[in-house]
Amino acid sequence: MWTFALARLAGILFLGLILGLLVGPVWLWVLAAACIYLGWQLLNLHRLDRWLRLRSQIDPPPLGGIWGDVIAQVVRLHRRKQYHKQRLIQLFRELRRSTAALPDGVIILSPQSDIVWFNRQAARLLGLKRPIDIGLRVDNLIRAPEFVHYLHGEDFALPLIIRPPVQMDLYLALQLVPYGAGQSLLLVRDVTRQMRLEAMRKDFVANASHELRTPLTVISGYLDTLADDPSIDQSWTGPIRDMRAQAQRMNAIIADLLELSRLEASDGEAPREPIEVPRMLERLYRDALARSDRPRQVELNLESTHGLFGASHEIESTFTNLLVNALKYTPADGSVRIRWWVDEEGAYFSVTDTGIGIPSEHIPRLTERFYRVDAGRSRGQGGSGLGLAIAKHALQRHDGWLEVESVEGKGSTFTCHFPLQRIWKPAVRAVASA
Amino acid sequence: METADLTHHISKRFNEDLEKVRNQVLQMGGFVEQQLHKAITALVEGDSRLGESVATDDYKVNGMEVSIDEECSRILALRAPAAGDLRVIVAIIKTITDLERIGDEGEKIGYIASRLATMERPADKYREVKHLGRQVAQMVHDALDAFARMDSQAALKTAQEDRMVDEEYEAIQRQCMTFMMEDPRTIRRALEIMWIVRSLERIGDHAKNICEYVIYMVHGKDIRHTSLEDVAKQIDQAHSLARR
Repeated sequence: MWTFALARLAGILFLGLILGLLVGPVWLWVLAAACIYLGWQLLNLHRLDRWLRLRSQIDPPPLGGIWGDVIAQVVRLHRRKQYHKQRLIQLFRELRRSTAALPDGVIILSPQSDIVWFNRQAARLLGLKRPIDIGLRVDNLIRAPEFVHYLHGEDFALPLIIRPPVQMDLYLALQLVPYGAGQSLLLVRDVTRQMRLEAMRKDFVANASHELRTPLTVISGYLDTLADDPSIDQSWTGPIRDMRAQAQRMNAIIADLLELSRLEASDGEAPREPIEVPRMLERLYRDALARSDRPRQVELNLESTHGLFGASHEIESTFTNLLVNALKYTPADGSVRIRWWVDEEGAYFSVTDTGIGIPSEHIPRLTERFYRVDAGRSRGQGGSGLGLAIAKHALQRHDGWLEVESVEGKGSTFTCHFPLQRIWKPAVRAVASA
Repeated sequence: METADLTHHISKRFNEDLEKVRNQVLQMGGFVEQQLHKAITALVEGDSRLGESVATDDYKVNGMEVSIDEECSRILALRAPAAGDLRVIVAIIKTITDLERIGDEGEKIGYIASRLATMERPADKYREVKHLGRQVAQMVHDALDAFARMDSQAALKTAQEDRMVDEEYEAIQRQCMTFMMEDPRTIRRALEIMWIVRSLERIGDHAKNICEYVIYMVHGKDIRHTSLEDVAKQIDQAHSLARR
């Protein structure tokens, strides 16, 4: 093609040269021939340019040679681009359709928390409007203070559950998923059903325990009378004693269930009443010493005079549960040590025993309701199986947590951790006056 | 060149300031909304502790009002805003006053709710009051949404809802009177309920005021004390002008 174009140029120049040799000055004729060729090429270039500009409206100019070649190239490039564009658009539409069909709401947020895009479900759940809400800050529209706090916080591991202001009877779980350079996805899920089920479960446990209490009181009452009745045959003494013991155990279980459901029902943080922990521990210690089934050695190490801010009876039942467990699972020649101390990170209560210990595979599940390490043995020991569950819930309400260390056959240590802001420093006044 | 850059810088900082104070207003709005929800829940579910917590938390609303007020004065003094920006500041100053009042009314409702929780609850479990409460809470929510979106049409629509709230208020008032006449023992409770619905009605008025400020902020028209029909006409005109 190019050789043909070159040959044509040479031909035109040769024609000019011949004509110049025949008539008139040679340079004029050659120049004229070159100019004609240049003009022709310029005209072609102009037609090409016009076509490129108005490509969608007019057909390509019917040019051959190198120009035709260029036009063919352009057409091919354009077609390929169109094809890719179509595919991308199709892919994008598919993506958008699939996110729109998601059962969960999705909102894309810019680094400044502006709303970039949201799907239909998010709009429905949160009452967002398109297109007016695109570009608005998300916390201007979802104004619940907990959400604003969550959005500006750092911890997005757990979803936040709020009640949307529009539909007050819904529960929504919002979770922020950061990605890319500062952008994030806000996932919105309707968890009303789960929350209702959970509430139903709690109500059921609370109601059932409450309803069981009355008949049980009647049964225990009659058993008490029967035990003291001299006219009853001697052979019944044993069975009646067992029945009384079991009735007492049922009572204890019901009391623990009620306590647990009370803890669950009172959600959020525990109140901040000052508690004199040392005094409470001294009392628990005296109770422990008074028990007949206690191990030989029971120690109390009070290393701090600080107290806690919290709900007194919850802390007391937590400490009691841990202490009673230790006393129960430690043989008579073992020892139990109670410790209370404070350092720069928080306050700690621990109970260390030299009891039977807990196999490590059971430790993570200890705080589950009715979880038994050794079903046969611990039922024989009495207890409701709810003590540690209560302790866990009570500690959670005090921003604390329970740590369990144990070596099988050697003994265990249960430690309650409390954060700094829960520590109560009793007034120095008492010291000053003393 | 240098001056152009400087003005750009100033206006950018100014924009940030305005944006910040707007966000603060909406945050305050969110808190007030929550207070209102809590107060209504406390009444309907007879939760005296929730009611008390609403009453004790009102100081936070007051604190927010003061800090936003200061921020607005600072912007007025430093930037001397004009036209639209000035309207935004003026509207914000007025809006937070109304929000603070809504907070006060919420505090009252919470306080009365905690007192009512100790009394016997009526058979209808305050159904009417709950309905009115929801309606009013929705109004506050819509008013704040309109503020966030600068949406004058939504603001107008919300302002018009105030009439329904007023009607409902009167209906409950009549109902309370009937109760009191039928059974004088309910007088004490009915009087307390009267206070609550009165507060709710006032909250509706405050929400309406916020809507009016939104319209003022967007169109520069002061529509207080004019009938809403005239306002609707004017806004439609403004919109058709804008479209042309």
